[in-house]
Amino acid sequence: MIKMEKDILQIENEKVESQLIINSLTPENCEFYETAGGFAAIKVGDKDYGHINIIRTFPFSSLWEFLSVREVEGKQEEIGIIEDLNIFDKPTFELIAKQLEIRYFMPEITKIISIKEEYGHAYWSVMTNKGKCSFATAAGSSGAVTKKGNRVIIKDSDENRFEIADITKLTTKEFKKLDLYL
Amino acid sequence: MENRISVAETPQELLEHLQRENLITGKILVFATADMDVNCDIRTHILLLTENELIHGFSTELTTERLFSGYKRQTPKYSEFKYDCYKVSSLSTPVIDTLVVGGIFSICVDNSETALCAFTNAYKGRIRRLSDVVKKLINNEEINEDLLFEEETEAFCPKCGTPYPESARKICPKCMDKRKIFFRLASFFKPHAFGIFIICLMSILGALMGAILPYLSGSILYDEVLSSVKKSEILKHIPINDFSVLLLMLVLTMVAIVVLQQLFGIIKGVVVAKIVPKVVCGIKNKVFKAVQQLSVSFFTGKRTGGLMARVTEDATQVSNIFIDGIPFILPNVFIIIFSFAIMFSENWILAIVAVVTMPLIIIVSIKMEPILWHYYSRDFQASRDMRARLNDNVTGARVVKAFGREKDEAKALNTANDAIKYAEWASVDFRNKFTAMFQLAISISTVLTWFLGSFFVLDFLKPQMSYGTLVTFAGYVSLLSGPVNFFSYIFQWWSGSMNSAQRIFEILDAKPEVVEKINPVRVKELKGEIVLENVTFGYEENRDVLKNISLKVEAGKMLGIVGKSGAGKSTLANIITRLYDAKSGKIFIDGINIRDMAFSDLRKNIAMVSQETYIFKSTIFENIAYANPTADKKTVIQAAIAAGAHDFICKLPDGYDTIVGTGGRSLSGGERQRLSIARAILANPKILILDEATAAVDTETERKIQAALSELIKNRTTLSIAHRLSTLRDADELIVLEDGKIIEQGTHRELINQKGTYFKLFQIQTKALAMRGIGD
Repeated sequence: MIKMEKDILQIENEKVESQLIINSLTPENCEFYETAGGFAAIKVGDKDYGHINIIRTFPFSSLWEFLSVREVEGKQEEIGIIEDLNIFDKPTFELIAKQLEIRYFMPEITKIISIKEEYGHAYWSVMTNKGKCSFATAAGSSGAVTKKGNRVIIKDSDENRFEIADITKLTTKEFKKLDLYL
Repeated sequence: MENRISVAETPQELLEHLQRENLITGKILVFATADMDVNCDIRTHILLLTENELIHGFSTELTTERLFSGYKRQTPKYSEFKYDCYKVSSLSTPVIDTLVVGGIFSICVDNSETALCAFTNAYKGRIRRLSDVVKKLINNEEINEDLLFEEETEAFCPKCGTPYPESARKICPKCMDKRKIFFRLASFFKPHAFGIFIICLMSILGALMGAILPYLSGSILYDEVLSSVKKSEILKHIPINDFSVLLLMLVLTMVAIVVLQQLFGIIKGVVVAKIVPKVVCGIKNKVFKAVQQLSVSFFTGKRTGGLMARVTEDATQVSNIFIDGIPFILPNVFIIIFSFAIMFSENWILAIVAVVTMPLIIIVSIKMEPILWHYYSRDFQASRDMRARLNDNVTGARVVKAFGREKDEAKALNTANDAIKYAEWASVDFRNKFTAMFQLAISISTVLTWFLGSFFVLDFLKPQMSYGTLVTFAGYVSLLSGPVNFFSYIFQWWSGSMNSAQRIFEILDAKPEVVEKINPVRVKELKGEIVLENVTFGYEENRDVLKNISLKVEAGKMLGIVGKSGAGKSTLANIITRLYDAKSGKIFIDGINIRDMAFSDLRKNIAMVSQETYIFKSTIFENIAYANPTADKKTVIQAAIAAGAHDFICKLPDGYDTIVGTGGRSLSGGERQRLSIARAILANPKILILDEATAAVDTETERKIQAALSELIKNRTTLSIAHRLSTLRDADELIVLEDGKIIEQGTHRELINQKGTYFKLFQIQTKALAMRGIGD
């Protein structure tokens, strides 16, 4: 009986301790593969986690480093962290990059067609890399348009995001339309 | 049920098409749409779940334009879609991959994973619902009726078809009854009716004075005074022949008019200054009073959280239109009518010319004025950011210095300061442009009047007109620019203010979710027995935090509640105190359903000491006496002694009179905690809830608080929630919560013997404490 208690305790302790250190995922200790549905999946040692989520811990400052690999279901526990995606082979890099591209997808605005303001809302009509998009933002809301350097993120009233990668590439006319909301 | 719609509601055209194709065999359960392919290309997808199959349809061609909330989406041509039909028996593991915006829905078909579609945020709710129902079908579980209904998510105004710009807020900015809102709003000004009357009267008198001036400086000056060598018709009754005396009289009259105009302005200003703060204050008071009545869920909701933030700005905006807008309507109308009457009576041709050029002023006002406001608001925003930063810097000076970050902070302040500079440049720049354009528009009208008028004066055009009349005419043309400008923006302003008012009324009209029963049961003294029967609760629909909880705590006993973060421990405390109402099941205190009990009796008999201590900005005495404002000094000191707070209070220079809270003396975590225990002691409740009461303090303080608590819990029913199990050892009974369910129940000894979760947690904590050398 005492032995069993000790075993339980040991397992629990190991679990707690394992949560306190970075569980680094490297080409040596894991293998990524693509599921039939086109999602990234992972095998760590003998354990096949299947379909996983990959999250950028620094979505603005580090695109390919410190990627958190998590289970999709349940509590979405962390399986491990990819400290640097570049150490993986090309197919793995591409597989994960594709997942990240989808996860962090937001249409990139290439042209501002019009921004009209009516009844306290701004109605945007823009051309994006995924076609023409029309959406509304609350005109008085300060959080709707965020500028970081030359990059601008616009959040519509449903919290969908649109990105202008570089405002310096906008024409003067487009910039004038946007300028009011910056 | 009235605002709920069935999630099975399917567009008729789609239904007919699927029936023609014989794709539907079972009863429809959920219909959902999505707007993206798995690779995020724009395409319309539909998902239709019936008892027997999941039908996935998608347009064969990519959509060219994606319309989000705020734009009306077109009904797709379902007959041109491609459809896949999956038998429910072949399905397993539906998964929603959360993306930064929206998600991807996939499911295993014959054990092979199939990604069906991706979607943006507006579609998320329904697809999640579909996924939940599929799961239930796959597991052969009963589908709760609640799953098949949802709050109405109609994206368009049913009256005019305008899409709601915010899908979570079903307010059509175009159709909201602005008149109704206006009159309701006017009720705020009712107590100040006399003041408003004075404001209107003064505005009209001021306008009248303004309207007389061009006539005096035109027709009278040129045609009557300056040509008084030959005594004029008007002045012939005045027995003065001297030109200079006449001139002096005119000048004095004009000065008197200007003085009167200013005087009326000053009187109006004084009345405005008195009324505005009163009304703004009144509106805010009403809002705050309404807010106090609302349930906790109101503050945590996304929709209303935003409302709260803006309400104070809204109050100002709303009162501005009543002060700077409405009272000016009449004077401006008066000026327009008066000016036109004079202009048309003097020379209708020239009057028409002047009217025709007015649209220039209107265009400039309509096009440029809103932009100017934008610049002003940006300027204001930049200044606000700067103030916030400065405030952080001053209050956080200790941290800044401790980490040697003075230079970085100065740099950050410079950036904020620069932002103000640029915002000011931009607004000044635009204001100059606006003023120049506006003046140009006025000048064009005036110059045209002068130009054409000269032909009348010189008798090239008929009827002949005097020079004085022309000057009067030009004067009225300039005078008109004010009212024209006013009317070109007042409507937009009005519309914006009604929007603000709407937000205020949303708060005033919000119905608390947790309401007291009419004629509630009054219980003066409770014994403290608590019974929960099959209680289920969730903050969000479909996500139950407590699942079917049943338990009984006898009066005067202590129940310890154990579990990991998120297990539902604090939620249990929230529903017993009726901060929220349980979704199903019943809660009884002394055999009375708490829904039947008067709020005041319930709350008076329950006190909570939680990790989240709230100290109000006031004296320590008042903070402790918060629970019982009638308590005298002796009682408060006794409570403080029992809570172990008395000693530290005595060491403060101002003792119980020390001002604490924001801006006051800062207290340590343990000190705050002990104050809140003292508050609870003073409340003398029959039921005490200790929610992680000692989690935020060091061991030494914890021991002191524990000692205080052991005094407090005597003869009271106590529910104690704690991470540190050592604090719960003395509980009469313990329950272990996991994922909203009670998984273990018994005394400390019994649970240790069970060797389950409690045992594991206890072992780990004992070991951890032993390692730190503080074990018992």
